[in-house]
Amino acid sequence: MKLETTTKQQIVRNAFLSLFIYVLPIALMFLTFYITGQRPWEKKNAKKENVRSITTKNTANNGSND
Amino acid sequence: MEATIEFFKKIVDNLNGFGFPFLVFFIGVLEFSFGLYKGKWPKNERWVDIACFTLPRLIIQPAIAYYSLHFLPYIFGDFKNVFSWVPFFWGFAIIAVADDLTQYWYHRLHHQIPWLWRFHRTHHSASYMGMAMASRQNAIYTLFFSQIYLTAALVYLGLGIPAIAVRIIKSTITTLAHSSIPWDKPFYKYKILHPIAWVLERFISTPATHHAHHAATTDDGVGYYKGNFGNMFFLWDIIFGTALISRQYPKAYGISHYEGDSWYSQLLWPLFKSNVEGSELAADGPVVRVDIDKHQLAATAASGYKNPPVLTPELTVVQSSYSNN
Repeated sequence: MKLETTTKQQIVRNAFLSLFIYVLPIALMFLTFYITGQRPWEKKNAKKENVRSITTKNTANNGSND
Repeated sequence: MEATIEFFKKIVDNLNGFGFPFLVFFIGVLEFSFGLYKGKWPKNERWVDIACFTLPRLIIQPAIAYYSLHFLPYIFGDFKNVFSWVPFFWGFAIIAVADDLTQYWYHRLHHQIPWLWRFHRTHHSASYMGMAMASRQNAIYTLFFSQIYLTAALVYLGLGIPAIAVRIIKSTITTLAHSSIPWDKPFYKYKILHPIAWVLERFISTPATHHAHHAATTDDGVGYYKGNFGNMFFLWDIIFGTALISRQYPKAYGISHYEGDSWYSQLLWPLFKSNVEGSELAADGPVVRVDIDKHQLAATAASGYKNPPVLTPELTVVQSSYSNN
């Protein structure tokens, strides 16, 4: 049994629309960041920097708790 | 503060691990207590349901564990948690769309592409709705459940907490949509609730819309196995024109020509074939078998599947069953 042509066409049409729907929440998120001026990824990077300065082996016991 | 967040994280993690089986068990007990199966749980079907609920977990869980612990680190390497900065709300929206739209397509293609139908047939062969059949799937269908792998990848990239929240909500909606408890009925009965019903039935899967998808008949104004593919969101069916909303429940469920294939063939086809002659799961069976007439179907339901009507030219062919989910 073969796939009907009308079904095939509907699948292709809907698949293209789906690509747009997949991207939609990501696009809306960045649009919100753009409007509100938020940059949450910078916050994360700053946090990372802080953690790095704490864990570097620059203490008297060379970063070990032993 | 961090200890409190950790505490709630643990609760969510536990709900994620034990929540679904508990929900299924709890609703299942309610269904049996109220006699909702009406004696329609034959021995063969009982074995299919139990085998499909238990055995795939032994294959699927290790497969997902391997994929998450070995494959994803190999592919994405340093990108672990790279998107952990994404706010919860947006993470939730991204995962909800990615997971559920992918499942919509996976499900829809198994109905619309003939050679895929037999991998999904097991989920539709039950002549009843409820917790007993909610997990009834062919193991290969479950193993390649595409959205599981997509969601696991998004979790690896840092969307773990939103993914768990989506999973809890999704499991609840899909479980209740399969339930034989028509929780949506009051929304159609009382006029004051009609506006809520209008939104609800277009947005998420309800027993009425999902039961229509499991109907033994189609195009009769109630049953519609050619559509209503949505799992958590029904919105996809509305957008893609595959929806039917009738606010009614079908009289008969399942596949019109079903004759009780063995549990192992339903769980592991094509590795094991059915010995029911003419079955879609039999070694020499058709890829897709035509439906029998709905009037004959009523007679079949009355006599049980051991005495199916013989498919003869004078029987009206209603639909090709591969659209039957």
